[in-house]
Order: sequence, then structure tokens, then C-alpha cells
Amino acid sequence: MNKETEKLLFNPIRLKAISFLISVETCDFKTLIDVTDSTKGNLSIQLKKLNEAGLIDIKKYFYNSYPRTDYSITKKGKKSFEEFFKELKLLK
Amino acid sequence: MNKEEQIRIINNAINQTKQNLKPLGYNLVFWSIVVISMSFFHYFFPQIVQFSYYSASIYWISIPLLGMIYTTKYNIKNGIKVGYVTQLDRVIKIIWGVFGFAWIFIVAISLIYKVSPVQDVLFLLSIVLIMTGLIIKFNNVTIGGIGLLIFTAYSYYNPFMNLLLVNVVGLSLGMLVPGLSLYFQKNNE
Repeated sequence: MNKETEKLLFNPIRLKAISFLISVETCDFKTLIDVTDSTKGNLSIQLKKLNEAGLIDIKKYFYNSYPRTDYSITKKGKKSFEEFFKELKLLK
Repeated sequence: MNKEEQIRIINNAINQTKQNLKPLGYNLVFWSIVVISMSFFHYFFPQIVQFSYYSASIYWISIPLLGMIYTTKYNIKNGIKVGYVTQLDRVIKIIWGVFGFAWIFIVAISLIYKVSPVQDVLFLLSIVLIMTGLIIKFNNVTIGGIGLLIFTAYSYYNPFMNLLLVNVVGLSLGMLVPGLSLYFQKNNE
């Protein structure tokens, strides 16, 4: 696993978000706020960073005229998370 | 943040995913009540349902199609309320989606060949119920599916059984009772 991904997942909010996303197909922003215990602004920034690194996908759409955003983990994200977790277990 | 803390964060986040099976129970109860009511109505008022050559077909196609639209809307709304979709939710959705398409296909074929679709639909339903029960690890649904399969097989060998009553007994056994137990189970909320 590259150092950049390791650095990204060192942040607890990003780690919580990606750990939750690995166990679901898709998830909305409100659920991620509950899971990560963070503020809207902070979570948006952290999710944007994960998205820019190609670890998560962000899908924006309208439902009943209300804007919604769904998040899901990418193949690269899954692979990186698995490698990260494997290394964590080895170091423990 | 040390390694133990990171592992704890990962475990906590993953454990926050709860499998909510209540909507599946609601779907099973809804469909069993709809089809049982339709079967009873057809049984007691055949002069209304069968007043013309195609009226029974229209009756048995239009109401289930409306039911499909309602349950699809309910499931979408419920999915949005929950906030996330698990892999298991997707598998269940695919299985019942395939059942929906197969139902349309069986009904179309039975209309062309002028035969009753009841037993074929019940057979397919029993297989789908068994699969669902095994996937969600809920024995009542699996047992309901097996009961429905046995009952459907029995009805094949008894051609004089009234197919509307076969529908009522089969769906009560295979869908209504397991659906209610799934809907009301305590650790489901």
C-alpha cells in the first residue's frame, strides 16, 4: 500500500467513513455524519479528499425535488482498505 | 492514533451496519393479503370477475401490477429513510426482481396457451421463499417456502382442487405466517 493512502486513512473521520462504506453498497451523507460523529463541513472536506484519491464514489441526484448525495467505495478503495487492514493486523 | 485505536474504529464503524428485515416482512404480508383477498373475491363472486372472456385475466394482472408499483415505491422510500443499502439488500432485491419478471412471463405464457398460471407461480414463489430464507438465515421463511413447495406439488397430483383455494392455503402457509413473524421479530428494529 502506498504512503499516500496510509496517510489518508490515518485521519479518524476518513477511516470511520471508509470502514462503514466497506460494509454497505451505498450510503447517504446523513448516515455518514452519524457514523463519523463529525460536522457537515468537516465531513464534506474529508469525503472530498477520499474521492480525489479515487477511494470512494460520489453520486449526486434529485429525489422528490430534493438534492441527495450517495457515497460508495470504489474497487481501488476496497483494495486499499484491505491492504491497510492486513498491515494493521500484522503490526498489532 | 495508534494501531489498536485504528482497529477499534474500523470494528465500531462496521458494526454500525444493522440488517433491517422489517421491510421484507412488510412486503411478504402485503402480497399475501392482496392475493388471498383477490382469491376469496374471485371464489365468492365469480360472476363479477368472470363477466367477460378477458375480465379474469385483467383482474389478475392489473391489481398485481398496481401492487408492484406500490411496493417498489415503498421500498425506495424505505431505503432512503434507512440511509444505506447493504449487499444483502441488493441480493434480496435482485431475487425478487427476477421473480417479478418470471411472474410476468408465466402469466403471458398461460394466457397464450389458455392454462392456469397458479401452480407455476406458486412453485416459483416457493423456490424464491426458500432462497430468501436461507440467505437471510430466517428459518420461518425457509420452512414457509418448503411448506408451499410441498403443497404445490400435492396440488399438481390433485387436479380437482380449486386453484383459488390452493392460492389461499399456499400463500397463508408460505408468505403470510413467515411474513408476520419476520415483521414482528424483536431483534429486527
